[in-house]
Amino acid sequence: MWMFFRRRVKLKTADLVGGLVVLLLGIAIVFFSSQLPYKTEYGPGPGFLPLWLGIVLIGSAVFVIANILRKHSTVEAFLKPRTKQSGMMFILIVISFLLLPLLGFAVGLAFFTGLTMRVMGRHGWIACGLTAMGIAIGIHFVFGQWLNIPLPTGIVGW
Amino acid sequence: MDLLHNLYMGFSISLTPINILYCLAGCFFGQIVGVLPGIGAPTAIALLLPLTFSVNPTSAIIMFAGIYYGVAYGGTITSVLINVPGESSTVMTCLDGYQMALKGRAGAALSVAAIGSWIAGTGSIIILMCFAPALARFALRFGPAEYFGLALMSFGLLTVFGGEEPIKTLISTAMGLFLATIGLDIVSGLPRFAFEIPQLLGGVDFIVIICGIFGVAEVFNSIEEQAEGELVKGKMRLRDLFLTKAEWIASRWAIVRGSIIGFLVGIIPAGGITTASFLAYLGEKRFSKHPERFGTGAIEGVASPEAANNAASISGFAPLLALGIPGSPTTAVMLAGFMMWGIRPGPLLFQTKPDLVWGLISSKFIGNLILLLMNLFLIPLFVMVLRIPYTILMGFIVIFASVGAFTVNNNLFDVWMMLGFGVLGYLMKKLRYPIVPLVLGLVLGRLAENSLRQALTITGGNFSIFFTRPISALFIIAAILAYLTPVIRWAMKGLRQPKVDVG
Repeated sequence: MWMFFRRRVKLKTADLVGGLVVLLLGIAIVFFSSQLPYKTEYGPGPGFLPLWLGIVLIGSAVFVIANILRKHSTVEAFLKPRTKQSGMMFILIVISFLLLPLLGFAVGLAFFTGLTMRVMGRHGWIACGLTAMGIAIGIHFVFGQWLNIPLPTGIVGW
Repeated sequence: MDLLHNLYMGFSISLTPINILYCLAGCFFGQIVGVLPGIGAPTAIALLLPLTFSVNPTSAIIMFAGIYYGVAYGGTITSVLINVPGESSTVMTCLDGYQMALKGRAGAALSVAAIGSWIAGTGSIIILMCFAPALARFALRFGPAEYFGLALMSFGLLTVFGGEEPIKTLISTAMGLFLATIGLDIVSGLPRFAFEIPQLLGGVDFIVIICGIFGVAEVFNSIEEQAEGELVKGKMRLRDLFLTKAEWIASRWAIVRGSIIGFLVGIIPAGGITTASFLAYLGEKRFSKHPERFGTGAIEGVASPEAANNAASISGFAPLLALGIPGSPTTAVMLAGFMMWGIRPGPLLFQTKPDLVWGLISSKFIGNLILLLMNLFLIPLFVMVLRIPYTILMGFIVIFASVGAFTVNNNLFDVWMMLGFGVLGYLMKKLRYPIVPLVLGLVLGRLAENSLRQALTITGGNFSIFFTRPISALFIIAAILAYLTPVIRWAMKGLRQPKVDVG
């Protein structure tokens, strides 16, 4: 499955999608800024700059898309051999962030580090556990106690 | 006399034990960040910025400056020893530095980089001391029209220097400017693009964006492009650090030339240390009587870019302090820091906060000396940093970015938003949209829009104000020329291409 996507998704395709996203963003900005006053009694209104920014984005996106379509097809792949690992890191971050309200910041981020070490670095369970514990204590004392940052606490009370 | 008086005042601030400690910490941390491939000065400063809410701004900025030029020193170590640049500004150093290491002259390469950086750094501080106040005095004449023109010129220069595809630089700048418009409009009080989400009414905080776009995005990119190099084998003794007479003769003028190029590039908005080192290397190669030696271990190929990147890291403070306009991504992040501490850099800063300005400038003398000593005697210690498992390092970046984003408003919404910007930064890099223009647009967006609206309010909506005031007109013309440069280049390229005879 992964290899299928790696071979299929070319940089050109991704670039085209990127250009379309910019185009849509530009259209959305123009739409929403046109609902704001363009001019006021004293000069430009709150809609003035965003409207022009939207127009610049639309124009630039059209240029980018046209340029991509004009170019010959390139074989350069968008997904690299290690993109999967980046995706895995993203998933680990999302899982950890979802657990933050439950575990609290110190334990949640320590859990994240332990999980990353285990899943991505293939470190032993003991090393992961000890590092995670050290991180939790470090976050609690450095950020919570020393720097006085009111980090959310979880079920552990940290 | 004023200069000496100010310098004396500066040293009385920077030489206090606490500020020496902050300077030392900044240099040490910068050196480590420089050694670690994948993490740059903007990332390091962005991650530490939220943690300095309660720190004295002078101490914090002394530390950040130490990180900035410390990174320029530190990146050299990996460039020379493992042929992997620790920092983009030391890419050029790899070319000859690694070749020197293979020939058993790693010590000399590191030594000339440290000495060259120190000479360039110290020389640049002296010029900065004279130049920055003069620039600030000149900038006192600036009104809203000039500030808008200056911001426009900075964005324009980015399209010239900002990346391979100027149109993508333009998109990135526009996106940064757009992000700066989110939230309540300060003139009319109307919400813009907040979509009734209460957390967006105050705008998207730049710390959230910077932590995501520099911190988390860097994690994703580094994992994907993890570069592995092999450490050059062999022990380095103290005597290996000494340059031979021939090496010193070959490198001394290269250091001077690199320093001049670096200083000049550093003061240009959008210049930056990477461009400085790149131009210095190319300049040195062109200037050399034996350009064929470059890439094979020519010591000038190390001395010149190393001097240039350090000189640029010092001179980059001139537009930041005197005009409030950052010249590089690192100074853009620092500008965000100034805003966070409630300080507005610009011409008045020299009058309202002389302690900060001169404390910072004088601290650079101390920092450069600390770094020279660190780089001559502590290299093995910094090489050890490379042994930290990558997964732990990435974990630390995510932790700092998350805590940093959370501290802005003490809510998890910002943490999620930071992750979103991390993904955006990652995709932008993959699709070759430069990130620096987005950050510059974001940081300067409010200044640009407010100046534009103030200027047009003065004239009742008449745009002639931008052309009737000479300085403003100069900036606007420079901006127009900068925006037209890619078009002219494209047209010239078309003209130069030989016509194909179809018949």
